[in-house]
Amino acid sequence: MTTTLPPAPARENDDGTAAPPALALRGVTRVFGAHTALDTVDLEIAAGEVHCVLGENGAGKSTLCNIVFGSLPPTTGEVLLDGERFAPSSPADALARGVAMVHQHFSLVPTLTVQENLLLGRGVRRLRPDRAGLAARLAAIAETLGLQVELDARAGDLSVGARQRVEIVKALLDDPAILLLDEPTAVLGPDEVDSLLATVRRVAAAGTAVVLVTHKLGEVMRVGDRATVLRGGRVAGSGPLAREGGAGTPGAPALTAADLVGLMVGREASSLDPVLAASVGVVPTAGPSHDGGPEAPARSGTPVPAQGPAQVPAPATGDPVLTVRGLTVDDADGARRVDAVDLEIRPGQIVGIAGVEGNGQSELVAALSGALPASAGTVLLDGVDVTHAGPRRRTALGLGVVPEDRHHEAVVTGLSVTTNLLLGRLHRFRRLGLLDRRAMRAAAADLTDRFDVRTASLDAPMSSLSGGNQQKAVLARELSLDPLRCVVAAQPTRGLDLGAVDDVVAHLRTAAARGVGVLVVSSELSELLVLCDRVHVAYRGALRGPVPTDAPDARDRVAHLMTGAPA
Amino acid sequence: MIPTLTDLLVASIALAVPVLVAASGELVGERAGVLTMSVEGMMLTGAFASVVGATSSGSALYGVACGAVAGLLVGVLQAVLSVVLRADQIVTGLAANALALAGTTFGARLLLERGAPVPGFSRVEIPLLADIPVLGPALFRQTGLAYVLIAVVVLLAILTSRRTGWGLAVDAVGEDAASADRSGIPVLQVRFAAVLVVGLLSGLAGTQLALSEVHTFTDNMTAGTGYLAVVAVIAGSWRPVGVAVAAVVFGLAQALQFTLPALGVDVPFALLVMLPYVLALLAVAGFVSHSRPPAGLNTAFVRQGRAA
Amino acid sequence: MTAPTSTTTAVVPTPGDDDGPAAPAPAAPAGPAWRDRLLDARPVLVPLAAVLGALAVSTGLAALAGATPAEAATALWEGMVGTPYAIGSSLNVAAVLLLVATGFLVAHRAGLVNVGGEGQIAVGAVAATAVGTSLPSTVAAAVALPLLLLAAAAGGAAWASIAAWLAVRRGVSEVITTLLLNFVGVAVLVLSIHEEALLRQPVTSSETLPQSSPLVDAAHLPLLGLPDSPATAAVVLALVGAVVGSVVLRRTATGVRLEAVGRSQPAARRLGVPVDRLRFSALTTAGATSGVAGGVLVASVPYVLDEGLASGYGFSGLVVGLLARGSFTAAVGIAAALGFLVSGGINLQLAAGVPASITQIAESLIILGVAGTAIWTVRRTTRTRRPWWRSRTTGRTAARPAPEVAP
Repeated sequence: MTTTLPPAPARENDDGTAAPPALALRGVTRVFGAHTALDTVDLEIAAGEVHCVLGENGAGKSTLCNIVFGSLPPTTGEVLLDGERFAPSSPADALARGVAMVHQHFSLVPTLTVQENLLLGRGVRRLRPDRAGLAARLAAIAETLGLQVELDARAGDLSVGARQRVEIVKALLDDPAILLLDEPTAVLGPDEVDSLLATVRRVAAAGTAVVLVTHKLGEVMRVGDRATVLRGGRVAGSGPLAREGGAGTPGAPALTAADLVGLMVGREASSLDPVLAASVGVVPTAGPSHDGGPEAPARSGTPVPAQGPAQVPAPATGDPVLTVRGLTVDDADGARRVDAVDLEIRPGQIVGIAGVEGNGQSELVAALSGALPASAGTVLLDGVDVTHAGPRRRTALGLGVVPEDRHHEAVVTGLSVTTNLLLGRLHRFRRLGLLDRRAMRAAAADLTDRFDVRTASLDAPMSSLSGGNQQKAVLARELSLDPLRCVVAAQPTRGLDLGAVDDVVAHLRTAAARGVGVLVVSSELSELLVLCDRVHVAYRGALRGPVPTDAPDARDRVAHLMTGAPA
Repeated sequence: MIPTLTDLLVASIALAVPVLVAASGELVGERAGVLTMSVEGMMLTGAFASVVGATSSGSALYGVACGAVAGLLVGVLQAVLSVVLRADQIVTGLAANALALAGTTFGARLLLERGAPVPGFSRVEIPLLADIPVLGPALFRQTGLAYVLIAVVVLLAILTSRRTGWGLAVDAVGEDAASADRSGIPVLQVRFAAVLVVGLLSGLAGTQLALSEVHTFTDNMTAGTGYLAVVAVIAGSWRPVGVAVAAVVFGLAQALQFTLPALGVDVPFALLVMLPYVLALLAVAGFVSHSRPPAGLNTAFVRQGRAA
Repeated sequence: MTAPTSTTTAVVPTPGDDDGPAAPAPAAPAGPAWRDRLLDARPVLVPLAAVLGALAVSTGLAALAGATPAEAATALWEGMVGTPYAIGSSLNVAAVLLLVATGFLVAHRAGLVNVGGEGQIAVGAVAATAVGTSLPSTVAAAVALPLLLLAAAAGGAAWASIAAWLAVRRGVSEVITTLLLNFVGVAVLVLSIHEEALLRQPVTSSETLPQSSPLVDAAHLPLLGLPDSPATAAVVLALVGAVVGSVVLRRTATGVRLEAVGRSQPAARRLGVPVDRLRFSALTTAGATSGVAGGVLVASVPYVLDEGLASGYGFSGLVVGLLARGSFTAAVGIAAALGFLVSGGINLQLAAGVPASITQIAESLIILGVAGTAIWTVRRTTRTRRPWWRSRTTGRTAARPAPEVAP
């Protein structure tokens, strides 16, 4: 379902008019230690426009938001609001000056009700919160924007979409002059994205300057008036957008989607692997000429990235390596998180699980890895019942797991790279009861070489590695298990830059080509569609589908399932 | 039998008041996300300062002021360490307790004369109510300070309930400091203030113990009462009424070591001494799985500008 | 940034392509080389400053108590190292502290804070006394002493295992339980020496002290045999314990696994490390070494169990463990320093009339100084955030942990 978007508002101060921009950054630089996150960034945003800030992970988008919202001071440079210097020392300062922000991971206190959360922003210094004033303002927002919230629900109990709505209402409560949205669509389903983008346009139409930070091109092209692309902390390019439906600005050369991809990754859009193109939100078919068979969705047998080994389509005929029957997981409070899931993966298959976050994917992966007990159902690994086995036994039977939360569960950040790689197999490095450090280092060196993990030293703490290299280290550990029958990868590309995404995808495909069954859980639907053979959809703990990815209408069918509509 | 039982109840309730007062302060601190283990030290310092103040001025009220200020000062120390310097809250809390113990023991050698009279509070009977059999004297034959402190506890619970802006701010800061910060709440100020509340109430709790009950200062006179207050907050599941009940139960258990021998019951003294702590252990072991602490408890807040 | 110049340099992560939820890089201001070097030295300079500050305050307090700085210093010095006797008693104190600290460090490696040294010492001492007073007088020292120390270790371990069990099975913070168990443990000691049915010496008159009968001769710890020195074999025992602890933590698979558990339970569990078993064993080990400390205390002069036996050692041992920051070498040095300070403090009271609690004031000020400055001295690592009183393992969605299957 698509929403009709209101037309773009006329921009008064496009070029050369006297009115100062609502928000301007002049030469803003931010340095962290030896790393420059933002490098002399200039930016101007006018009232009433939707200005998209694009860039890969690590390009500096979040740093930029944090500087404008007062969470972080710039190292040098200045921020101007309506032409006046603005140096907020805290979010409270920014809010007081009419700068509001919708945070990627929300700013709602989960144990408070929606009403209490909304009151937080309005005078908690007062003994009696202003409930009447809040109600009046909410009514106004409901009328102008059609946004309604359930006041008495606990924020933590809301669905992601509903929480997002509360977050936006909260940001709009004080009628901000500037609204920053940091990756607002990252956790939303397709229809929720539509309604969010419609809201964004309406907010801008009411005269607010909107900064939409994202790495997804599709949404930029749908709602943006102008775009600025960041790459490695610098402005790689900026300008008005050639909007879909021909709403481009006459005069200045408008940026197309292909231009933006080029600016974001620093190379031609056409040179991208389909998975990479998908991860920035360019639908392969919409892009220009594609060297690797543009129309056919990529499967595990289609061309792989240049550095990936050549592979033949893996036969998916062996006995299933992973069989899940009726798997049910209840949490400590008795709420059903995973509901009678059936799943079967054969050697060489890559199976995806899509879905809006919070639909039981995390719990499913935890149950498969042995971190959460199953309330009912069975899990067979290579024919062996492991339903009640702990992680150690599952690993021994050939189950590799790439956990969702890298810093929490996948690696011990304070320990060395060597220890992290070998922690699960320390017993192999014992000599006279003591650890044979030399043998450990040799084994670790072998793994880091094979998986191209770049580290200053094998003894360096894991925390000193970049996210991409940490993830590669996790893959090195999990894919070098012997035996290896099945890999469960949860959000394996989250937070990585394109180069690392490329490597991760190549490693997963190589594993599948070796006859390993691969299960990928991701909220990046586009990525799943090009990587997997078939995609299931997680919805309220149950799995729906599967949808074969070579079906011509695969994307629509999956998106449809994600809304909870009957298959 | 009846008069003795009444005496027992009077003494028991009186000894429960310090635990109650300190626990209600600690509750505010923990709800704001700061674990203040130094309640024990604050109480001891408050008790010491109140006795010094009362004896040197001859006025019990002056003693109360000294006790309150001393508790506040330890609160400032703890707040600077926990909130501003983001130090380990448990380690600094325990160290502050050790400092208070050693400091008051040292100070008592220098400043207090053994056996000198200490101006204190005597029991005030509330007419009519105190005539209710058994319970009447227990509840309505306490010192003036005790009545005032109970009023303070009730007032604090009302002022920091979820219905008030302050209560909302306290809970938000303790539950999810990052979100509170992004909502414009001054996280560090709220937490600092919460620790000061802990200090003030604990100082007053110590004062009550010294000036209303014991009427003197002895080394380590709190002897773990502050820790019982901390445990009462857990056992009470971070809810005012639950905390009050737990605090009173612990206080009563503690009082038994004085009242049972007075009743002529022959129980080894050491068993009575360990009773409140055994109860506290059972309480945390039993209640833990049914309640949830503030998510940000014992976690220092630093604005993370860089994280996603 | 210049190249690291010392082993304790804060490692500045090189954030590359990741904007994920990694710990922010500690903002290390770029500066001239001397400044970097000074910053590198902070982990040494700051505790040193804390010690000097604590000494300054203590000198001031001593002056308040009427002792001139010279008098106080002389009395302190005499008590610390003035005579072979003073040195020997200082070493004995240090041995007890080191035993407690060794266990603390083992538990701390697994992320557990053992605050229960005092209770464990008390119960260990009770167990040791029970053995040491009930053995026949004819038994050989080679049998009696090991038995006594084993009983002490078992007593301390059993006491700590209550907290360990509650932490592992019920998810209750070991901080609160070991703390409460201190009070109960000391009460157990008091009970056992007040009841004739337990360990109290036969009551012959109203003057009979509430303490145990003396231990049989064979259960007395031998002296080291240094001239005029009361230093006992406890010193050797503690040093051996520290060496063993150090080797286990640094050189064995168990040590690495303990550290993994301490830094991230979810990741360790994911990698098949028996998290619950290691946590239980680590805290129980801490109890055992504290128990041995209690055994050592009763097996030294005057060879009886009395009420004040455990007092102060638990907290001081914790101080040693905390200040040592995981290093056994540092623990040995700090235990020795505190041991001398404690003996010196006793003489300070005897010779100069300054209350001995002044040494505790100095100790707690040092801890406050070191802990309070940790944000400048300790590199921030992304430890798994552990709610202090409850060891929830995963996030909000966590249910019961899956049962662990023995390897």
